[in-house]
Amino acid sequence: MTLTVKEELIKRSPLRILEKSISGGLGRGSIGVLASRKGVGKTACLVHIAADKLLQGKHVIHVSYASRVDHIITWYEDIFKEIAKKPKMRAALDGFDELIRHRVIMNFKQDGTKTEQVLRSLEAMIVHANFRAETVIVDGLDFAQAGPEDLAQFKDFAGRLGLELWFSASLKGEEPLFDASGIPNELKAYLGVIDVLISLQHHGDHVHFNLVQDHGRLAPKDMRLKLDPTTLLIAKDVRTRAR
Amino acid sequence: MTTDIARMRNIGISAHIDSGKTTLTERVLFYCKKIHKIHEVKGKDGVGATMDSMDLERERGITIASATTNVEWADHSVNIIDTPGHVDFTIEVERSLRVLDSAILVLCSVGGVQSQTITVDRQLRRYNVPFIAFVNKLDRVGANPYKVRDQIAEKLGRNAVLMQIPIGLESALEGLVDLVAMKALYFDGPDGETIRIEDIPAGMAEEAARRREELLDAASMHSDELMEAVLEGRPTEALIRSAVREATIARRLVPVFMGSAYRNKGIQPLLDAVVDYLPNPSEVENRAVDLDGGGAENVLTSDPAAKTVALAFKLEDGPYGQLTYIRIYQGSLRKGDELVNSRSGQKIKVGRLVRMHADAMSEITEAGPGDIVALFGVECASGDTFCHPSLNMAMTAIYVPEPVISLAIEPVDKNAADRMAKALNRFTKEDPTFRTHVDPESNQTIIQGMGELHLDVYVERMKREYRAEVKTGMPQVAYREAISQTVDFDYTHKKQTGGSGQYARVIGRFEPLAKGAYEFSNEVKGGRIPREFIPSCDKGFRAVMRKGPLIGFPVVGIRAVVSDGQYHAVDSSDIAFQTAAQGAFRQVYMKAKPQILEPVMKVSVEGPTEFAGNVFATISQRRGTIVSSVEDGQFSRVDAEVPLAEMFGYSTVLRSLTQGKAEFTMEFLKYGRVPPHVAEMLTEQHLEKQRKESQR
Repeated sequence: MTLTVKEELIKRSPLRILEKSISGGLGRGSIGVLASRKGVGKTACLVHIAADKLLQGKHVIHVSYASRVDHIITWYEDIFKEIAKKPKMRAALDGFDELIRHRVIMNFKQDGTKTEQVLRSLEAMIVHANFRAETVIVDGLDFAQAGPEDLAQFKDFAGRLGLELWFSASLKGEEPLFDASGIPNELKAYLGVIDVLISLQHHGDHVHFNLVQDHGRLAPKDMRLKLDPTTLLIAKDVRTRAR
Repeated sequence: MTTDIARMRNIGISAHIDSGKTTLTERVLFYCKKIHKIHEVKGKDGVGATMDSMDLERERGITIASATTNVEWADHSVNIIDTPGHVDFTIEVERSLRVLDSAILVLCSVGGVQSQTITVDRQLRRYNVPFIAFVNKLDRVGANPYKVRDQIAEKLGRNAVLMQIPIGLESALEGLVDLVAMKALYFDGPDGETIRIEDIPAGMAEEAARRREELLDAASMHSDELMEAVLEGRPTEALIRSAVREATIARRLVPVFMGSAYRNKGIQPLLDAVVDYLPNPSEVENRAVDLDGGGAENVLTSDPAAKTVALAFKLEDGPYGQLTYIRIYQGSLRKGDELVNSRSGQKIKVGRLVRMHADAMSEITEAGPGDIVALFGVECASGDTFCHPSLNMAMTAIYVPEPVISLAIEPVDKNAADRMAKALNRFTKEDPTFRTHVDPESNQTIIQGMGELHLDVYVERMKREYRAEVKTGMPQVAYREAISQTVDFDYTHKKQTGGSGQYARVIGRFEPLAKGAYEFSNEVKGGRIPREFIPSCDKGFRAVMRKGPLIGFPVVGIRAVVSDGQYHAVDSSDIAFQTAAQGAFRQVYMKAKPQILEPVMKVSVEGPTEFAGNVFATISQRRGTIVSSVEDGQFSRVDAEVPLAEMFGYSTVLRSLTQGKAEFTMEFLKYGRVPPHVAEMLTEQHLEKQRKESQR
């Protein structure tokens, strides 16, 4: 059986590596968190995860607490442009206009917007507006301000509506950010609610991915993925394993 | 007498609907002593604001056509154009922006940056118009000028800086602190006409000092001189003003002023700001295309002795006859001058020359560069350029969007028919987005425009101003047809039985065209089709594409290529090749997988957060795509793309769903493919219509 260019693109995506290392994907009803200091590349990773879902014809809601809508739109355009640069991919992305219709951006001001209100609006989008999202990206939620109870509300919501939720968590504390087993100190209180926790860390001149928790299991391991600094895409890390 | 150009300002007042710009303009006229009494929009005194000269505008409480007026402030001559706020009339806004040198952007201190503000901001950008912001309605509950400043910075990406801060807010609004002079301003007297200058209230000194720091930081970014003075701790008022002025004109800074037009607070300082910070006509670069010079762009000079170049930007059928509003870009305009209309080549003689106040006017004998005046009895269309007989220049065309909606109208009797024709003739000259034609099949008069309200207003104006009573049909969306794949053709038109025969054969292909409506390409070699018949093919294609076979709407996005053919020495003719071209198109059109395209609108709905869910549902029911939703505390905005065909009656639905608390705006975005089930329905309707017509 021959694959179409698009199927090939999906199959070869480094995100398949990511899925493999977290037991086949995040899964419905689950919460995944990408944690790092500000400016390491969490948003880029989240947008790449969303773009991968869109390519598969799935619906994505992008919740943002910080960026302006037009900035987020530019993120997606840039990511798709980068993907299209790969050989033969241009044709596969002819349907970009069509794909992008499967993405809704929902922007909230963190100050004064309660998690209940955010979930109410999300539910209205999915149920009343019949927007059948499976994946929700939540970028810029301030974990310190929101607290574990709020994350638990998100998790209940994900379970009830059968969604997978990817969050970014900005680490702001003093060094060391991580304990001996690689767990971010600031997120310890949240571990019970988080299904998959991945930390992004600068390693020499590039950013690599460290799996901290996989569906409840604390299983620190190098995911063999990196963030390509020029394309801002997640890419396979081809280094021979360090040390 | 002409005014010294340095003492001249041409400004527009642009805003979101209902942010109070008509009230503001009214106050400006009052303080400049152009009117002697203040009337309110929807005024209880039954007079209405002076700038709303049309009855209809008075009744609806909105401003439709831009009336221009001239005022004097601090020895400066200021031409003001009151621009309409509703999206359906943006052609008026665009035209004013083309003609003006700068603008005041009015914002509501409660609503802040709203969807329409964003549209206006985009237009200001397109025409490189520098502007100052005025945050109005400080007396309203929930007023927050600081939030509005932040929104101008965040949502519009403008470098906004406060020039004033309020003393008290909402019902406790007392006055303003001027952050340049560091004085408190109070507006005394029944109409706020007396300004009392005092020291800054003790409790506000710290806040004022802090805000002034911000102002100095922002202004000194653009002036080394001010930067030095600030470092030495002695920035003078004059230095600050000149730095802010330069940065504003260079569009690097947006100074933010504030007040309450309704409460007569903050208007005189705003007028001072127009003089202090906005450019005079010679500080703005204007270009014209030299039609004799192969389309080269020339920069115009604001020398009164130079050869005249002027733009007719608005026609109005007033109580005194036909008025043509004209902006002079170069040279002067004198009574008795001879000018040429560069579009038509027609010569005109300048007769009566007047300066306009909303409804009154004053006669003048000449006007200089930069000025805006009106001429009497000149035949032309809006957008025409008039120049000195030795020049042939055109001011760059004002961007005119294609109409997206049409409506059949029928006069109720013979008298109404004559008056309707007169009205339509006038409206189409005034407004390039309003068009009219007679449908050859149904014999109905069709009017076309930018939205439901746009057409409504013209139907109303026909009744009021021309006493032309008309019946209207259902609004009709302007669909298009387009092919989606390349298809070859080979068609022979032959009629050789008796009389003079007809013979033509055309071979070639139709290709989908990504940009543009239609292209014709000739690839015929070796005279297989004689050269004189090539234009006949083009003509034939154009004719047949006016009504697509699918649903009878124009075919767009298509390239017709003729590559080969045959002719007959006697029987081939212009008409034979035209007919062959049409036959070829009809024969292969369906093989090119034609699709129906519909206008898709960019829709913005704003209202309290509690209704966001309802709004989502209304968009999705209308085949719309939600692009984004923004929730900012109690306030939410939903941006979506929705087919125009689904938007009829949306305002009523939205009003009842949100108890009138949400409002929406829309503008044309693009043509998009209709989904298969809609295409099927439209095709069936078209067939049904054809069946009925053939039975008649």
